[in-house]
Amino acid sequence: MSHLPQSFLGSFPLYLGVEIALGITILNKCSGFYGLLALFTGHPLDLLQWVLYLFSAFTLVVYAIGLSKTYKPDVLTFSLVVALFTLDTVLTCLFTLWFSNDWFSRGSGLEESRPELQNPGSALGPPPELVKRGSSLASQSASQGYEHSVTILFTILTLAARFYFNAILLAFLQRLLRHPKYMLDFDELQQDMKNKSFLQRYWRKCQLKCYYLCRQYLA
Amino acid sequence: MSALFSRVFLSNRPAGVKIANLETSLSPAVTIRRLKAYKPTLADCLHYGFLSSILFFAFIMNPASWISKVAFYTFLGVLFIIPATSQFFFNALPILTWLSLYFTSSSFPAAMRPPISVQILPAIETILYGDNLSDILAASTNKPLDFLGLIPYGLFHFGAPFVVAIILFLCGPPTILRGYAFAFGYMNLVGVIMQNLFPAAPPWYKIIYGLNPANYTMKGSPGGLGRIDKYLGINLYTPLFTNSAVIFGALPSLHSGCATMEALFFSYVFPKLTPLFIFYVCWLWWSTMYLTHHYFVDLMAGSVLSYAIFQYTKYHHLPLADGSLFSRWSYPEIKTFNIVQADPLGSNANDIESLPVPLVLGTDFELDDMVNSDSPSIFDNERSISRSSAASNTSLEVQEESYSSPRLGKQRVD
Repeated sequence: MSHLPQSFLGSFPLYLGVEIALGITILNKCSGFYGLLALFTGHPLDLLQWVLYLFSAFTLVVYAIGLSKTYKPDVLTFSLVVALFTLDTVLTCLFTLWFSNDWFSRGSGLEESRPELQNPGSALGPPPELVKRGSSLASQSASQGYEHSVTILFTILTLAARFYFNAILLAFLQRLLRHPKYMLDFDELQQDMKNKSFLQRYWRKCQLKCYYLCRQYLA
Repeated sequence: MSALFSRVFLSNRPAGVKIANLETSLSPAVTIRRLKAYKPTLADCLHYGFLSSILFFAFIMNPASWISKVAFYTFLGVLFIIPATSQFFFNALPILTWLSLYFTSSSFPAAMRPPISVQILPAIETILYGDNLSDILAASTNKPLDFLGLIPYGLFHFGAPFVVAIILFLCGPPTILRGYAFAFGYMNLVGVIMQNLFPAAPPWYKIIYGLNPANYTMKGSPGGLGRIDKYLGINLYTPLFTNSAVIFGALPSLHSGCATMEALFFSYVFPKLTPLFIFYVCWLWWSTMYLTHHYFVDLMAGSVLSYAIFQYTKYHHLPLADGSLFSRWSYPEIKTFNIVQADPLGSNANDIESLPVPLVLGTDFELDDMVNSDSPSIFDNERSISRSSAASNTSLEVQEESYSSPRLGKQRVD
C-alpha cells in the first residue's frame, strides 16, 4: 500500500477528501431508504434489489458516524469505515455489472412506448416553422449509440470516482495508524468496555477485527 | 418594534464593534475610491472573468430588445456603484448571472442545442441504484400524498432561498450572506450550464412517451403537479411547467441542489437543528420523485454539486459560526477556517503526544479477555503500560527500560 495518495486532488489535506468522499457516498446511500419504500408502494423488487437497499441503509449509518468524526478521528471507527467502504466498493462493482446486464438485456425500451408516438414530435404535432427542417427534428434526439456510450462512460466515471475515494480513505487510515497521537490505548479500551451492553461490545469487537485487518495491510 | 428588535438582536452587542454595521453611503465616489485601491488575486480574476463572460453571452443571446437589455444592465451597474445597494447586489453577482442565463436558455435555437437523451438517466439509475426509484415511489398515488409532495416541491422551494437568506443575515456571523450568495449562485449557474449542455428527459417523459426520441418542439409537463391543478380547480403548475425555460433539464435537479444548499447553510449556523434540515431534504427528494419530475440520479447530481460547492465555500469564504451567539451583532470579530490547523493528521512539534513511537506489529488483543478480566488494582504486582502514558512521556527510551522487567511473562495487549 505504498502508492496511496498523499493529498486530496494533489493539493488539499486528506481529511478534506475524506469529508467529500464520505459526504457524497452518504448522499448516494440514501437510495437504500427510498428503495425500501417499495414495501409501501407495492412496486415489485427482486432479492438482489432488497439486498442492495438494505446494505445501502446499513452503510449509510456507519459512514455518517465516520463523517461526524472527521475532525477528531479515532482509529477504531475509521478502521471499520474503511473496511466497510472497501467491501462496499467490491460489491458496488458486482452490483453494477449485474444491473448493467439487467438493463442492456432488456433492450432499448422502445417496446414500452405507444406506436403512435414513434415519430418524434408527433405527440403535439410539429409546428409549421419546424416542419421545414424535416429530418433535423429527428436529429434533435440522441442516437442509440450516443445513449449507450454516455451511459457506459458515466458508469465508468462513477466507479473511477469511487475507487479514488476508497484510495483517499485508505491513505487517511494509514496515516492515522502511523500517527502516534492516535495509537490505541487498550487498557483504556478495556476499562471502557466494562458494563457496556451486548450491542456495544459487539460493535467494538467488529471495530477491533477491522482494525487488525487494516493494520495488517496498511501500517 | 425597534425595541423588540434591539432586545432580541442587539442585547449582546460587544461595545465598539463595527463589523456587523451596514454601509449606508449613497455616494458612488466611495465605491470608485475602493475600486482604485483594490488589487485582484488570480482567484478573483477567474471568478469575475467567468461571470462576466456568461453575462455577456446572455446579453447577446437574450431575445429581448437591445434597448431593454442595455437599460437592465445599466440599472445593475447603478446598483453596483452605490455603496448601500452594492453590498447586497454586487455580492449576489453569481445569482444574477445564473438568472440571466436561465431566462435566456429557452431562446437558444434548436440547431445549437446538443441532442436530447431519454435513456441515459433511467439506464444509469438502474445500473447504480438497482431500479428506477422514481417508478417505485410513483407506483401508487393518492390525494393526501399529492399535497404532501406539493408542499416542498411546489411551495417551499420558491420561498425558502429568501427566508434562508434573511435568517442567515440576522442570525449568522457577519459576511455569511455573501458566502451563501456565492455558493447558491454558483451551484445554480453550474446546474443550468449542465442542463443546457446535457439535455435529458425527466421521468414524466418516460411515462408519456416511453423511451422514444424527443425533440425541442415538445412542451414540458407538470407531472404529478397537474393533479394539484385539478384538485384546486386552478391553472398554475400546468402552464408553469409546460412553458418551462429548460424542459429537458432533468440533470441535475436544482430543486435538490437548492434544498441541500439551504440545509447545509442552516446546519452550519444552527447545528443542533441538523436532523430537521436533513428531514426537509429527504422530504423534497421523495416529493420530486413522487411527482415524476426527476430521477434519483438527478437528485444526487444536484446534491453532490451543492455539497462540493458548499465545502469549497466553507473553507475559503465563510466566517466561523459560533453556536452560542444568536445574532450577527453579537460577534466581536470574524474568524475564518484554517485548513492547516484543523488537519487531524498535522504534526505539531510542541505536542508531546505527537512524538514518534514505533508501532508493534504481530500482537493480538481479544475482546473476551478484556470483558471478563478483573479491573486493574493498585495492589496488582504487575503494572500495565498504556499507549498514551508511553506516548506522553518525553523520554521513551528511559521509560521502556524502567518498565521492561515487570512485564516479563505477561502478554502485551497492544
